[in-house]
Amino acid sequence: MSPTPSTANIDTIGFFDDLATAMNNDPARYELLGDIDLELAVVMHRDDRDAFRVRLGFHGIQCQTVVEIDEGEEAAAECWLEGDLEDWKAMFADIATNGRAQGPWTLNALTLMGDRIRLEATDPMGWDKFHRFNQTLQDFVDASANILNREVSNASS
Amino acid sequence: MAIAEEVLTEYPNLPETSPMGQELDWAWLAGHRSEWGVHPKPSPRGLTMMDIAVGSYGDVPQHPRHRAMAARGADIAEDTPDMGYILNDKTDVWASNVSELYEEAVARQWSATRDIPWGELEELPSDIEHAMCQLCTTLSEIEMIASDLPAKWMWRMNHEFLEAKMFLCTQIMDEARHSEVFRKRALANGGGLLKSRANTETLLRTIIEAKTYTQATALLHLLGEGFILDLFRQGEAIAPTEVEKRIFRLTMQDEARHVAYGTMHIRYAVDADPDVAEEIHEALDHGEGAMVALGRAPDMSSALAMLLAGGADKVEEIGFPLQQQLARNQMTSYLARCERAGVSRLERTKLPLDELGIDIDKLRQRTARR
Repeated sequence: MSPTPSTANIDTIGFFDDLATAMNNDPARYELLGDIDLELAVVMHRDDRDAFRVRLGFHGIQCQTVVEIDEGEEAAAECWLEGDLEDWKAMFADIATNGRAQGPWTLNALTLMGDRIRLEATDPMGWDKFHRFNQTLQDFVDASANILNREVSNASS
Repeated sequence: MAIAEEVLTEYPNLPETSPMGQELDWAWLAGHRSEWGVHPKPSPRGLTMMDIAVGSYGDVPQHPRHRAMAARGADIAEDTPDMGYILNDKTDVWASNVSELYEEAVARQWSATRDIPWGELEELPSDIEHAMCQLCTTLSEIEMIASDLPAKWMWRMNHEFLEAKMFLCTQIMDEARHSEVFRKRALANGGGLLKSRANTETLLRTIIEAKTYTQATALLHLLGEGFILDLFRQGEAIAPTEVEKRIFRLTMQDEARHVAYGTMHIRYAVDADPDVAEEIHEALDHGEGAMVALGRAPDMSSALAMLLAGGADKVEEIGFPLQQQLARNQMTSYLARCERAGVSRLERTKLPLDELGIDIDKLRQRTARR
């Protein structure tokens, strides 16, 4: 039985830096999907301490900025995704297990229902931007499969 | 026609006539009134329309002097013929984000032939396949309105608003691809095209017959494509396999661009002339009624409920409640976009908000916070 990928570190800048690096190192994949121009924030609510907040700056076919932000600063992004850490972990665990998000665990499915992870924006144009670049964002988080499985592989070797 | 002095000084050996004896005009060698040597700098991804909007070339006039297909910024001869444009004010067609949307559209084109994993289609239960084919029949029908409508107006738009026309060209291509992909899906998995009924055509006719372009764009981009955008979002819940999910995600991206243009065009028009808002409201009063009729159309609503339920057994238990929840999302998104566009519909909408349990006071509060 293969070891289960750990999602323990998803609420860290290091994890999102790895996702950005994965995107920036894979131009062939993102060139096909086309350019993206978006400032997106991610908010993960934790039981035991303050929420983890990160702002991601996507330009061209790269994620060029990954910055931890303070409470409320997500509103300065064009849109943000917000949910409990446990739900984020469940999403990344599904990606790690299946190689890409399945059915209810895609960003679009999660935000469509909005009961686990919500899409928020102060401007409806920002809200729509999430949909304009949806497949790129999905590929961005799906790339975590390699990162999470590589960590497991390193830990077990 | 003598060679201009300044040209002759620099190029003394130019002939005055062609080998066929025709008089030649070398005036363009002097640059004349056009701006020369602007040297736009490419962005990291290449030379964009935003990059070349430098100097006078970046100035889009509010009221162009010419009504010709001549390139904006060129040295245009006074006797250039009038092309018969009727949309000659920038507010008629412009949106603040139109150049960015054009570049985005060009960069994010996809192929319904190549980029959908058609080989992964799998045999589906008969009820699901029929429902998917019914939905695709309707979508293939209604998507082409978003090609026909800009095509109807584009040749009437002043060519100085080039970026807006270029963006609409991408929309026409996008919608052709949408009609293509839904037609292909209907045929590709052992099914076929199913019912087309009058209420669908009634909505399309309402849109195509709009009296002004701004009314047309309100009906098409804000209302029609706004609702379809949210329907495509629902593709995650509707789609029986990864093939359809991919179709809905890619079409959703395109649709969101069109909605972004329409929202910002209306905003631009209303900001410039608040009286335009009433013209838009009148169109939306009528259009919302037609949209509700389409939503209630027996084919479309039952097919959607079947897909959401995952089969005929749970249509009432799961399908219709889920459909209502998603309809609430559609309506609240649309009303939020109307606010952004500067045409608040909260006090005027014909949509059945009460029937769907949408709390108008909450919507008002949310809007006030923005």
